[in-house]
Amino acid sequence: MSHHDVVVVGTGLAGLAAAVRLAEAGARVLVLAKGIGATHLSGGTVDVLGYAPERVERPADALGAFLAARPGHPYNHVGGDGIRTALAWLEDRVANGSLAPYAYLGSLDENLLLPTAIGVPRPSAFVPATMAGGDLRRGGAGGDVVVVGFRALKDFHPALMADALGRSGIGVSARSVELDLVPEGRADVNALGFARAFDVPAFRGQVVAQVAARGLGAEDRVAFPAVLGIADPHGAWTGLEHGLGRRVFEVPTLPPSVPGMRLFAILREALRRAGGTVLLNNVVVGAEREGPRVSALRVRVGLREERRGADWVVLATGGFASGGLELDSRWAARETALGLPVTGVPAAGDERFRSGYFDDHPIARAGVAVDRELRPLDSAGDPVLENVLVAGATLAGAEPWKEKSGDGLSLSTGHRAAELVLAASTTAADPHAAAARI
Amino acid sequence: MRDVPQLRADVLVIGGGATGAGVAWDAALRGFDVVLVERGDLAEGTSGRFHGLLHSGGRYVVKDPLAAEECVVENAILRDVIPDCIEDTGGLFVATPDDDPAYGDRFLEGCRAAKLPAEEIDVGEALEREPRLNPGIRRAFTVPDASIDAWKTVWSFARGAASHGARILTYHRVIDLHRTGDAVTGVRVRNELTGEDSDIEAGFVLNASGAWAAQILHMAGIEDVGVVPGKGIMIAMNHRLVNTVINRCTMPDDGDILVPIRTVSVIGTTDIRSADPDEIPVTQAEVDQMLDDGERLVPGFRDARALRVWAGVRPLFQDAKAGAVTDTRDVSRTHAVVDHRERDGVDGLLTMSGGKLTTLRLMAQDLVDSMCAQLGEERACRTREERPPGNEDGEPYRLGSRLRRREATLRDEPLICECELIGRRRLEEAMRRRGTASLDDIRRSLRLGMGPCQGGFCIYRATGILHAVDRLDADEAGASLQTFLQERWKGIWPILYGDQLRQACLDDWIFQGLLDVEHLPAAEAVAV
Repeated sequence: MSHHDVVVVGTGLAGLAAAVRLAEAGARVLVLAKGIGATHLSGGTVDVLGYAPERVERPADALGAFLAARPGHPYNHVGGDGIRTALAWLEDRVANGSLAPYAYLGSLDENLLLPTAIGVPRPSAFVPATMAGGDLRRGGAGGDVVVVGFRALKDFHPALMADALGRSGIGVSARSVELDLVPEGRADVNALGFARAFDVPAFRGQVVAQVAARGLGAEDRVAFPAVLGIADPHGAWTGLEHGLGRRVFEVPTLPPSVPGMRLFAILREALRRAGGTVLLNNVVVGAEREGPRVSALRVRVGLREERRGADWVVLATGGFASGGLELDSRWAARETALGLPVTGVPAAGDERFRSGYFDDHPIARAGVAVDRELRPLDSAGDPVLENVLVAGATLAGAEPWKEKSGDGLSLSTGHRAAELVLAASTTAADPHAAAARI
Repeated sequence: MRDVPQLRADVLVIGGGATGAGVAWDAALRGFDVVLVERGDLAEGTSGRFHGLLHSGGRYVVKDPLAAEECVVENAILRDVIPDCIEDTGGLFVATPDDDPAYGDRFLEGCRAAKLPAEEIDVGEALEREPRLNPGIRRAFTVPDASIDAWKTVWSFARGAASHGARILTYHRVIDLHRTGDAVTGVRVRNELTGEDSDIEAGFVLNASGAWAAQILHMAGIEDVGVVPGKGIMIAMNHRLVNTVINRCTMPDDGDILVPIRTVSVIGTTDIRSADPDEIPVTQAEVDQMLDDGERLVPGFRDARALRVWAGVRPLFQDAKAGAVTDTRDVSRTHAVVDHRERDGVDGLLTMSGGKLTTLRLMAQDLVDSMCAQLGEERACRTREERPPGNEDGEPYRLGSRLRRREATLRDEPLICECELIGRRRLEEAMRRRGTASLDDIRRSLRLGMGPCQGGFCIYRATGILHAVDRLDADEAGASLQTFLQERWKGIWPILYGDQLRQACLDDWIFQGLLDVEHLPAAEAVAV
């Protein structure tokens, strides 16, 4: 049986943030995951708080009242300062990461307003620099938004986006261009296929020539689906900006998410450089306990079961969307890795969902409740395990889609979990001994 | 009052379900000039909300022999005239551990009387054929059940009628019946999309509105015919848990049919008396009961993935003269033509009562025959031999036929709906042909968004294409998307558990997380 200072379960943003932070501080870290995490679904923006429920312009100012009204919300365990620290940490990791000078920008102080693929202005705090040019807060600023799409990319519809953007009441005029350029001569290419094509200067050259041929105004800015390069996104983006002589920005669209893949690649490489390890197809199915502590995890690898010893466990397996939580046909909820108590699921016979899709659904905030140290709690509010910390979408108390807070929660609670483990460990001279003691 | 536009027809058919489409086809083939009006989309009511079983008749042999005999005959005719709508799955009647094995003897006896070719087979053979069946079954019988695509069926007959001159007016609601003396002479309809009213003058009105028939009759002043809407719920499961229609070999009861159709299997059904055919919500308790019933047929049913749940209403008639009905399942499943001349002294109006999809052709024939008798005309029915468009080659539908067609164009065009294998050209063609702005209409035409992801990926794409093809503006396209999401939600929230809850969360991620559809300007306009 192997033994690590920390085993992180899950390889989404929460798990990777925790793992990288710990490994860079010197801890021996192992990441176990069923598969690649939700980064590949997410648009790549780190939204901290977009709606509360009115649109939030300045998250730092809005957080106080938002959290006061929601005592069970996981941001309460991180606080505004904790979120700020996590954003700064990620900004630095990306700026010095494997895809540099690809970078993120933004802060807790103000939300950018970026158009979605269906033309809705969407608030977002911390975003890839390649997207920031889409900020709509100052309206059109003189020129049009020219939305470029591709006939072969079914996951992005430029005419619909441009039309909707023009009607959004935000003072932007927009038009669209659809190109028939097809990588590899195929009729059906997903975002990743286009991203690989955009890594190639010759393909970008063709795009520039065809877009320029349609005519651009001097003040126009040009929107593309978020497919501008996967190996060299900064080169692809700046190459287009130079070629077109206009501001260019990316718009997230349906999965697979290229910006999410970039973020995953940067963090995974940072982890590798810091000596951490990721093992996929490793499904945590339970734990061995010594009193109130987990001493080892039971891990299913194919048909085998292995044991992995750890002083600390950070659980970041996601919510119902990622399989970290499950609900069976008799409406019993389960945390799938360790069997932790799940709160917020209405009792059998009670209403779980309302009849309107956009309504507030009673089950929406279900998850694992934790204390300020992110330790899981039972229904009486007592910690059930001392050396397990929970981060990300497994946590109870948030409505990530409605709030536009998902990635902000994952990043900040993952980062916070690492800080808590490190703080506990550095109380002794030898961090490993301390980890074992605490 | 301003003038309203006029239309004229020999025959006006009210209702665009299986019965109405069949009646329009029958009457058009006999040379009548036909107009069909439907308040919503074709097959949006009861016909599109059933389990997809083309009855062999086995279900009725003991309890309702007349219905069984009709099914035996009509099953064979439909296989011949609309083969493209039918998959020859075959059927099994099985006695589960909870059923009395002796019922099988009465069942076989009934089959013989109804000339239904049933045969008892070894339990082992049945389990070999359907390995997921409850291994505790005690008897098994083969019957010629099949599955039938209701949308395709209704569209086939409607297109056939149109090819013989019929005019099919969807989204036209009847708001008044015109009477001159003792005769019904036409209707006033409201176009539900534009709000415009128009009059249709007709030599004869055929009421094929099923569970809504009494509402139509009230407009003619006929108050003492009632319809007892019998609500039945059905759940579509993610894949073909069985490849043969499975029936419990017992007196008809809840949750005793499992029908493999297209890429899914559908379990049905319940039978609950309901007050209003338009108010048929699905309850948690009904879903739970259906899952337990499924577990009895196929152990592990609760662990399979449920895709969607819906309810339909059977058109079970109650004539004030026939006494009260307590259990709607006890009402005969045969049909009857209500002769309003004889019954109410009203000319020019006939109503079809009762019936079921399997016997739609016979129902249409009987109704049009009765009309001809009243008109004193002799025109022979041709629906036993004529095939409507799309069925000419006589080839039955086979699972996988769509995949074969699709593979031929794999490199030429994008696949818009991966679950149901719908390419961009086919989608664009359907949008143009139907001239509709409703993604839900497209869903019924093509099965768009009916697969495991329930539109998670294809509906944004389809919205973009609808915007491009129909030149809908973005507000209209957004409203259509939101309406689709709300309609979809009605059918999924009662079965959100297991993998389908996970899927729904992924879909939330896309629609709310990524696209922020709840802040589309049209959001306020969508009625919930």
